Amino acid sequence: MKHEISTLMDGELFEDETDILFDQIKRDPDAQRDWAVYHLIGDVLRQPDYIHQDIGAQVRERMQNEPVVLAPRGRLLKQKARMFALSAAASVLAVGVVAWMSLQINPEAAPLMAMKPSDIRTVNLQIQPRSNDYLMAHQEFSPSNDMNGGASYVRTVIYNAEEKPQ
Amino acid sequence: MKLWLGVCGLLLAANACAAEMQSKLDWLKTVAFASHQTDYSGVFVYQYGSHVETSRIVHVTEKDSEYEKLESMDGPKHEIIRHHGQVWLFGNHKMVQADSQQTKIRFPALLPDQLSTLSENYQVKEAGTGRVAGYNTQVILFQPKDNLRYSHKIWVHTDSGLLLKSEVLNDKNQVVEQYTFTQLKIGSEVDRSWIVSSNAMGATIKDKVKPSLNSTSKNVNSGWVADALPSGFKKTMEILRPMHGKHAPVLQMVFTDGLSAISIFIEPADSDEDDNEGLSSRGAVNLYHKVVNKTLLNVVGEVPSLTVMQVLDSVRYNGK
Repeated sequence: MKHEISTLMDGELFEDETDILFDQIKRDPDAQRDWAVYHLIGDVLRQPDYIHQDIGAQVRERMQNEPVVLAPRGRLLKQKARMFALSAAASVLAVGVVAWMSLQINPEAAPLMAMKPSDIRTVNLQIQPRSNDYLMAHQEFSPSNDMNGGASYVRTVIYNAEEKPQ
Repeated sequence: MKLWLGVCGLLLAANACAAEMQSKLDWLKTVAFASHQTDYSGVFVYQYGSHVETSRIVHVTEKDSEYEKLESMDGPKHEIIRHHGQVWLFGNHKMVQADSQQTKIRFPALLPDQLSTLSENYQVKEAGTGRVAGYNTQVILFQPKDNLRYSHKIWVHTDSGLLLKSEVLNDKNQVVEQYTFTQLKIGSEVDRSWIVSSNAMGATIKDKVKPSLNSTSKNVNSGWVADALPSGFKKTMEILRPMHGKHAPVLQMVFTDGLSAISIFIEPADSDEDDNEGLSSRGAVNLYHKVVNKTLLNVVGEVPSLTVMQVLDSVRYNGK
């Protein structure tokens, strides 16, 4: 059966044989899996940008166990977190494929980026108003004064959103 | 003969290259000069991430000194007035003298050696022309040669040399922050009425300023060093300065590569300090603080977070 599928994929079967084989594959789950796996191998060997493999279920499962990486901190960090998530997903994919190809890979190596949230100090979202004085003191000597003039002082005015005019 | 011609050609090319570099750096000098010497008023938008704010700025020069007022137009009203190295902050009907440097007003402060370190650490490119707030501009791009600093893209008004727009970009070419004029008036019709009032305010403030703020900053050589500054960052300042709410003066060291600056603040840590370490940011400015051996270190700069962390971790006392 495997040999026939392989021949079929190489386009070396006659049309009537092809039809018969397709019928068999449709009915046989094992053959279906072989069919998918052979295509995956082909894809991997051709090193395309995307590999067609239904790994959604696996990724979902792994993502359940994945910690939320870093506290959300503005858009920049969200992007980073998204990147971590993506790279985590990518490493799941990579591990899946590589492991299947029965190559040795150190399972510790892949999820390096995904530390437990408790391992990471919560990063402050914004520079806190109490650090204003440092910003102000820094700004006075920054070359950006020579470029933007006083407009660069806009960086130093920080106030709490809750702050109410008295 | 051919060889000679070749050598000649190379030399000429090198010369031309240097001259070209020089002409691009001349833009910076022009900008620095214009930003201090031009009267202008306008409205600009400052944006980073999802944060957008609009401010009005007025800048006038009078008899070798500058007056400048920056006023927030969104949210609570805040005003910053700068004059003669002094900075006043107005907010919530409170007036605070935020900073008072004894340094004289610094007309174009970009020194030739700063420009040369700049060209060592950035690639400078003319990146076409554009229109900002109705004015024609020349676009200039400064791309760093390492990932320890940001790219800077500036739009310079071709007539006045004023910087009308600037973008700070990270190594993935994403805009970290930008600032752009939406409306600008250049020249003598700029409103000056507030100058008098600010002086009057300045006079009233003087009585309210806490005594500690009146004490002056001192230039020192403290013996503290930072080993892991990115190349080209040279120390321009080392002072012991009084700061709001601090019992002891704070040591500030400033390093700059011509486009960005890194400040290191060193002071004894308060024993009740519970926030021992942290990274925070506002636009292109990153701040990293850490308590090391009962010493509170703060590193601030218009550089990537990686850089402020790297610099802080390399700070040590080298003795006098």
